[in-house]
Amino acid sequence: MDSLIRTENVTKIYNPRKPDEIKALDDASLSIGKGEVVVLKGPSGSGKTTLLSLLGCMGRPTSGRIMVDGKDVAKLPERFLTLIRRKTFGFIFQQFNLIRNVSVLENVLLPLYPVETSFPDMQSRAEKILSDLNINNKMHMKVNRLSGGEQQRVAIARALINEPDIIIADEPTAHLDSKLSSDLLRILETLNSSGKTIVIATHDPFVYDHHFVKRIVEMKDGHIREIKLT
Amino acid sequence: MRHLKILEYALSSLFRRKYRNLSIVAVYALTIGILASILFLTHSLKTEATYLLHDAPELIVQKISAGRHDLIPSEYTEKISTIPGVGSAEPRYWGYYYDSLTHSNYTLIGIDDTIPGLSLLEGKMPSVSGECAVGAGVGHARIAGTGDTITLFNSKDTPVVFHIAGVFRSESNILTNDLIVMGEKDFLHFFELPAGRSTDITVSVNNPNEIATIAGKIKKLYPDTRPITKSEIIRTYDAVFNWRSGMMLTIFSSALIAFCILAWDKATGISAEEKHEIGILKAIGWDTADILELKFWEGIVISLTSLLVGLIAAFIHVFFLNAPILTPVIKGWSVLFPDFRLTPYIDIYQIFVLAFLTVTPYVASTIIPSWKTAITDPENVMRN
Repeated sequence: MDSLIRTENVTKIYNPRKPDEIKALDDASLSIGKGEVVVLKGPSGSGKTTLLSLLGCMGRPTSGRIMVDGKDVAKLPERFLTLIRRKTFGFIFQQFNLIRNVSVLENVLLPLYPVETSFPDMQSRAEKILSDLNINNKMHMKVNRLSGGEQQRVAIARALINEPDIIIADEPTAHLDSKLSSDLLRILETLNSSGKTIVIATHDPFVYDHHFVKRIVEMKDGHIREIKLT
Repeated sequence: MRHLKILEYALSSLFRRKYRNLSIVAVYALTIGILASILFLTHSLKTEATYLLHDAPELIVQKISAGRHDLIPSEYTEKISTIPGVGSAEPRYWGYYYDSLTHSNYTLIGIDDTIPGLSLLEGKMPSVSGECAVGAGVGHARIAGTGDTITLFNSKDTPVVFHIAGVFRSESNILTNDLIVMGEKDFLHFFELPAGRSTDITVSVNNPNEIATIAGKIKKLYPDTRPITKSEIIRTYDAVFNWRSGMMLTIFSSALIAFCILAWDKATGISAEEKHEIGILKAIGWDTADILELKFWEGIVISLTSLLVGLIAAFIHVFFLNAPILTPVIKGWSVLFPDFRLTPYIDIYQIFVLAFLTVTPYVASTIIPSWKTAITDPENVMRN
């Protein structure tokens, strides 16, 4: 399988040469193919979120290469990284990272604001996604009035509005009960079946034991320890 | 379309932090209001003064005695009128009257003809003894109009009754507001001035380029006189009002500095929530330029709203409420005038300068700290 994302000997050091220097990722190499579902598994502080951020072009490695669709993104100027984030990735964050006191619809539309798309087109795309996620009845409510599960679905809708190829999810079930976690995985499975590549960082067994997960990357202390095929 | 969407989000973002933004607008508008009030008031007074001097004689000759303005003998008038280049020389009769009833100062003028620039009149000019014409401010202060009488007390504290023949309406309110015009004989009698003397002399000069030369000749002929040219008076008015407004601006500059510190603190002190929001926007595909545009719109909306509110408040303060905060300093002794409403004259150039000096720093102080956050990797922003 051709790799869609590949990391080569990636190291990430926070606060380099300072007393609080932390090596979050050490010589990590990984390849993810198109249409795969990959779980980054490990305890807190193992480097999952750091690796996920680097894969999603939200940060730059201290050393090593990150190839997205054949391009080394580690050295690209900021504006190109932004374009890649906008076109290629959809992010689902652990804390949802929605803008408080803003409506569901506006939160979902946010990624389209800097894009030359007409308001009616934006609106119809958002309504369809919200409808698919069964939350269209709350699209005019402020997000902070929604339950955790509903907020998670808004975050998913926002991640999908730009029709990305890769979904990046950081601890997506951390704030959800088992029913909502199950719903979320069903949504991710549907997205995967439509051709999306999915990368999830989690230490929730409910996620990495799920039948649709095909690869598990175990991490500890910034190292990739083992890659399992399920 | 893209810019419109970012502007819409900027408005929504401002509305979300409405209490914080309203407090900034309130302080910002107050500062602009004070500064604009000083500029409006000074400019209006200077414009009024320019109108006042429009029909003023090119040259006025006063007699100086012991360094003070004294009455000038009639023979000076006759002799000055014979100087080559002088068109005419006319004696002028005027003085001040303090009205203890209304605590106002009036300017009394004695005429035997009309005064240039005062042709617009409700009623008529005084034509017989015992008649006078008054300015709108005098009429308002004494609650009297055409057909009524006005009683003034002469130097022996004897009441003298004048019939008001007309009330002045002038393009410039300050020009006629405190005026009481009466016949020359009535004037001399009221102030008990000696015959053959006037307050000063007005001189018209045939060639405007020779005004200074004529002034020199008069000074040489009568060393005890002081010839004053119209341009000198204009310069004096400008200097006085510029000095006063400069003093006020200096005093209020501390308020401006205080505002700048507040604005800087409010604008630069990006909260953790705002930093986090910038991180989210970057993560979901907003470019640094998009973030800066968002912050630019936020800064522009806040500063233009404050500018507009400040200018409207200043306009109302100066031209409707008569600038009660600034009048005692800017107008000086003239606050003893009967109340008068300034005619609104606004210098657009001053408005642009004020806008530039207030809007630009605020917008810059909004954008710069956001730029620092926006160029940081979203991962770092969100992690912190």
